[in-house]
Amino acid sequence: MSLSVLIVDDSATVRAVIAKTLDLAGVPVAHIYEASNGKEALHILAEHDVDLLFSDINMPVMSGVEMIEQMAACGLLEAICVVVVSTEGSATRIEQLKSKGVSAYLRKPVAPETIRRVVNDIMGAEKC
Amino acid sequence: MLTEQSELVAQVFCEVMEKLAFMFGEPADKQRSAPPESAYIQTKMTYTGQTSGMLALTVPASLCPQIAANVLGIDPDDERAVAGSLDALKEVLNVTCGHVLTTLAGETPVFDLSVPRTSTLDANQWTDLLDRADTVALSVEDSVVLLQFAQGRQA
Repeated sequence: MSLSVLIVDDSATVRAVIAKTLDLAGVPVAHIYEASNGKEALHILAEHDVDLLFSDINMPVMSGVEMIEQMAACGLLEAICVVVVSTEGSATRIEQLKSKGVSAYLRKPVAPETIRRVVNDIMGAEKC
Repeated sequence: MLTEQSELVAQVFCEVMEKLAFMFGEPADKQRSAPPESAYIQTKMTYTGQTSGMLALTVPASLCPQIAANVLGIDPDDERAVAGSLDALKEVLNVTCGHVLTTLAGETPVFDLSVPRTSTLDANQWTDLLDRADTVALSVEDSVVLLQFAQGRQA
């Protein structure tokens, strides 16, 4: 099954790196959407079906945390696997995000094999 | 003479550069640092939480496309490397800042990080920055880069 993926990060470089990493990791991808902040991401989610979402936390306009809270309020986290990819290493923050329904948390910099392992793990989960 | 905190910040930066950009850094002697270049790019960000502070990374402008190329895994002459120069530099700082905070404060506190901003510095500004006590000089790919870490109030 090929996945529809949304990558949310204010850095075009990071979006390109994640897209390349998915390719290197052999993750089957049908389409990649990109957004530079949470607000743009919510617009894309309103118009397109997405299976897997990678998101940063610290972004201008709307942060990853705000975006995830709005996705939770709309019930979107029950249908979309969200992987947070951030530089932050606070265990408190990670637990807060997981309690909201985030599937996985990866700390930058992320190796391709880590992306592949996480995608394989969460694609086996029921909601995906 | 580096303080213990400066050494930790420099060590974290070198680890990030190695993992993110496959580039190696080592402490450079401020007194023997390379002669000033004409232009430098500085990226700076702040953090707030149990403590607040600022981290800034200043590099010769000529090094930026190389960093972007390495992060993206493309040739330095590729137009995407030139276009992504500032973006890649900001990402290096962003990742460094996150790792510096957990190295210094542990994994319990939550910090809010600002979005990195960039500006251009001239040779005089570079020299002033080099002379500051809270600035660390590091050698990366034969270029000298400056890392400034300033920790402010305790909340």
